[in-house]
Amino acid sequence: MSLCTTRKHLLDPAEPALGASGFAVFAALACCTFFSLPAFSYPEFQEFVEKHSHKTVNCAMCHTNENGPVGEGKGQIGSLSPDEMKRLNSARGALEAGQNVDSPILNKFGNEIIKAIGKKKFVQLKGDPSKLFDALPGKSDLDGDGIPDAQEYMDGTDTLNKFHGDPGKLFFVNLSRYKLHIVLAIIAVLSLNFGLLHLVKGISILQSKKGG
Amino acid sequence: MIDLDKAAHKVSGFLSERIPVEKLNFHSMVEKKEVPIHKMSWGYYTGGLTMFFFLIQVVTGLFLLFYYQPTVSDAHVSVEYISHYVAGGALIRNMHAWSSSCMIFCAMVHLLTAFAMKSFEKPREITWIAGVLLLFITFTFGFTGYLLPWNQIAVNATKVGLQSVEYVGQYLPGQLADVPRILRETFQGEASVGQSTLGRFYALHVVILPLLLASLLGLHLLMVQLHGMSQGVDKPAKKAEKFISIFVFKDLSLWATVFLALFVVALCIPFDSFLPFPLLAPFNALGSTPQGIKPEWYFFFVYYPLELLPFWVILLASMVAVAVLIFAPWIFKGTSRRTLGFITLSASAYLVVMTVFGEQIYEFFKH
Repeated sequence: MSLCTTRKHLLDPAEPALGASGFAVFAALACCTFFSLPAFSYPEFQEFVEKHSHKTVNCAMCHTNENGPVGEGKGQIGSLSPDEMKRLNSARGALEAGQNVDSPILNKFGNEIIKAIGKKKFVQLKGDPSKLFDALPGKSDLDGDGIPDAQEYMDGTDTLNKFHGDPGKLFFVNLSRYKLHIVLAIIAVLSLNFGLLHLVKGISILQSKKGG
Repeated sequence: MIDLDKAAHKVSGFLSERIPVEKLNFHSMVEKKEVPIHKMSWGYYTGGLTMFFFLIQVVTGLFLLFYYQPTVSDAHVSVEYISHYVAGGALIRNMHAWSSSCMIFCAMVHLLTAFAMKSFEKPREITWIAGVLLLFITFTFGFTGYLLPWNQIAVNATKVGLQSVEYVGQYLPGQLADVPRILRETFQGEASVGQSTLGRFYALHVVILPLLLASLLGLHLLMVQLHGMSQGVDKPAKKAEKFISIFVFKDLSLWATVFLALFVVALCIPFDSFLPFPLLAPFNALGSTPQGIKPEWYFFFVYYPLELLPFWVILLASMVAVAVLIFAPWIFKGTSRRTLGFITLSASAYLVVMTVFGEQIYEFFKH
């Protein structure tokens, strides 16, 4: 289970950290006091994708940092500059779809989700993460690999890496994309083989004549 | 003295039978050479295919050398740069990755067919042993090359691999017990897998192993040309074709077709897309080990049994298998091709089942 999931109990207000140590409770309270809004993480989406695709995914699916939004690392809340905090709070306010979102704790795909459906709907989808597939714009393909982001979400592949996707789907997409290259390569190889096989035939005839 | 003389005489007798100097000329080795035609003739092409994939490895590897940086800070970035910014870089890298797997696959098929065809028979023992050593070097190529992209799976799998080497020491007697530890320390170069390891693996992958492989391949090919193709079947073939030019042209035609297939696959399916993306992230020394760390597919036949059975069982089985492979010309001297075929089929079935269903078998027994 990733850190995203293990941190759920500390961060999700629906499940207060009753079982956690006193320090963890204090830390959670301190976080809530320090930031205008508490830091949410949504491991339900990660859990769904892993179950559906049978592939390991981590927080880097939507977040800047592979360990999720909480911590002191790059792209985590503890390391944000005042300007980045401003962007974060602005993103947190994007409750409806269509607003420009540039949260420093989210990657391009994470920001795209919030921009496309709004934070309010996103939180609602927590109960049924499979519906995110229908909610996301069907044509959006952030990495340009030919597989829509929504499909890559279901497949558990990287939405931001054009060299990562379901191998079968990538094969057919690229086969169509590079058809000219492939046709030229086929013509070259067929010509070479035609020449070689006729050479072999010619040599065989010569040898049989010599033998005869 | 007398014993030494006898031994020297025996060795020279052995070598003169295996390396007939009178045949070391172009006429005997090339012009006169013929390839038998029978139901197992396809087996004669597997060695050439393996060499063809090695040549692709060399050419694509040279291109990659222009951009790859063997430092822990830049290795991953340079690989990303090759894939995303160098013209044709992704294709070259993919061809390198796909052809490495194809080379290992063909080398294994070549070894199995040569075994089934009893191609190790006298006077071809040196050809066989050189071939077995070439297969081990090919595996080492795979192991050292796996680390170079410096991503999560590369570093963590290398750690596991190097640890396994050290475990061997527990089962060795006396001072031999220290050898695996010394080997691990030599290849690792520091307390954990780091810059020294990357540097050493890089040197092994791009200089030492290619030189070793090229020299052994030279010996292997020389022996093949010197002794000609083995009979391959029990009854001598009625038909044969000239090595030059018919067999060579047919071989070239096959290489061209295989190149086309490799080109299409490398263009359309990125090799990395078979792995979960968290494993492709740059290695983070401070982070936790991600799930799903495993070696390349061609190590599954030993990796999954290693996960299920005690280490000593696998070690013993591996040592026996290596010894049997090396001494096959003497162990199976009087064995019929029919029996060898049965052994080959059983070994192939094991390799295919462990490679394709190894994970499911592991899950079944573990849970």
